[in-house]
Amino acid sequence: MSSFVVDKKGIKRYAVTIGVNGSEYTKVIKANTLLVNFLREDLDLTGTKRGCELGDCGCCTVMMDGKPVNSCLVLAMDCDGHEITTAEGIQDGEDLDIVQEKFVEHAAFQCGFCTSGMIVSSRALLNENPNPTDHDVREAIAGNLCRCTGYVNIVAAVLDAAKEL
Amino acid sequence: MKPFKHYDVNTLDEAVSALQNFAGKAKIIAGGTDIVGMFKDEVFAERPEALINIKTIPNLDYIKEEDGMLKIGPLALLEDIAHDELIKGKYTALAEAARRTASPHIREMGTISGNICQQCRCWYFRSPNNRFNCIRKGGEDCYAEEGENRYHSIFGNVKDCLAVNPSDTAPALIALGAKVKTSKRVLEIADFYEKEEPKKTTVLDDDEIVVEIQVPQPAANSKSKFEKFAIRKSIDFPIVNCASQVEMDGDTVKSARVCLNAVFANPYVAQKAAEYVVGKTLDEETVTAAADLALQDAKPLTKNAYKITIAKSLIKKTLLACK
Repeated sequence: MSSFVVDKKGIKRYAVTIGVNGSEYTKVIKANTLLVNFLREDLDLTGTKRGCELGDCGCCTVMMDGKPVNSCLVLAMDCDGHEITTAEGIQDGEDLDIVQEKFVEHAAFQCGFCTSGMIVSSRALLNENPNPTDHDVREAIAGNLCRCTGYVNIVAAVLDAAKEL
Repeated sequence: MKPFKHYDVNTLDEAVSALQNFAGKAKIIAGGTDIVGMFKDEVFAERPEALINIKTIPNLDYIKEEDGMLKIGPLALLEDIAHDELIKGKYTALAEAARRTASPHIREMGTISGNICQQCRCWYFRSPNNRFNCIRKGGEDCYAEEGENRYHSIFGNVKDCLAVNPSDTAPALIALGAKVKTSKRVLEIADFYEKEEPKKTTVLDDDEIVVEIQVPQPAANSKSKFEKFAIRKSIDFPIVNCASQVEMDGDTVKSARVCLNAVFANPYVAQKAAEYVVGKTLDEETVTAAADLALQDAKPLTKNAYKITIAKSLIKKTLLACK
């Protein structure tokens, strides 16, 4: 069980250690801290977007131990000892990841709000399945809503990225 | 979200004793996709003081065949069930139901035990900050009766509550004749749902948790099928879903089980349809008559008679697929 402190109001705060994009962060958080807020507010990783906050839109998608999850429905407490990869972590230093490059090339976004979630979901798919079909890609991004593109260019970008893996 | 306490437990016994310590004021969190949303929207009759995290208990996500049955651990993820070769082959309806639940992201978090225990999605119940003090929260009115009831019950109410059970895996497990093993007892899954008191979804006591789901091996010449109707195929909760399992004896049906969900407060076992098809061949005429019989007792509300047509069609589809 993680160690905790109790503040003046009697609210418990817990020490957690969460791996994010290859680094380990130990922070003292309240039990009701959501992973998306932990990433955005405590770690300033604002690439993860807060959209519907109901698990519907997928803007907040991050990888937890390699699997895509909605960070708006995950308590940061429950990530203690787990490895999180955000859109920032997919990028290799200054260079864009192949999926990101192909999104640019195919103009697979318009307003861009869904993009980091789309890229994380797509990358999670390609890590598991380097030769996806059109259907596999559509299924992998089934939990990510895009209201601008109509998805066609997103699917094309992911399939194109798969060819160059 | 208002503050709450959070405990990680290492064994099921610890989880049960933590629940006992809080005497009804603590809830279990596994995948969290349902309960975190309830905390966000503040939709509890009585907000729990603490969450007991059981994800820290090792080795509870198993899927295995043992003692002539399929045993599924309470922490088995819906995504793993959806893609498990054993379940896809022999317990088809369950794999299909798991696969049609929510989005891939939610399936990576959501567990089978959470899916069968989830709270209803009635929009009056779920309206943020307990805006509607409905029967499920200890109030006196069901707002769906005269309000927007297009997604509500077509088989009447439980103490005036018209909410429906939204689980996809529950009807599949009922069709497959599954049992739920809890920390206290073993229940037929059809008896796992609370029939009298709308404030509770399941018959679980405050200090009782699901420890295993047991599905008997289907007979050699039996098949099962799950179908779901939802607005968006990729993510939505069901408008109506249906699972059937049929055991054939040559050309005729030896036994059958049909279960609808999202049509009543609990998964609705379509007993009349199942009884009707026994001893008959599964053709268009038989399944149409069976579906009509099953929906004979329907009492649609002002805006949801359309669900009857959908339910009939799903019963027909699932039964024909079991031929």
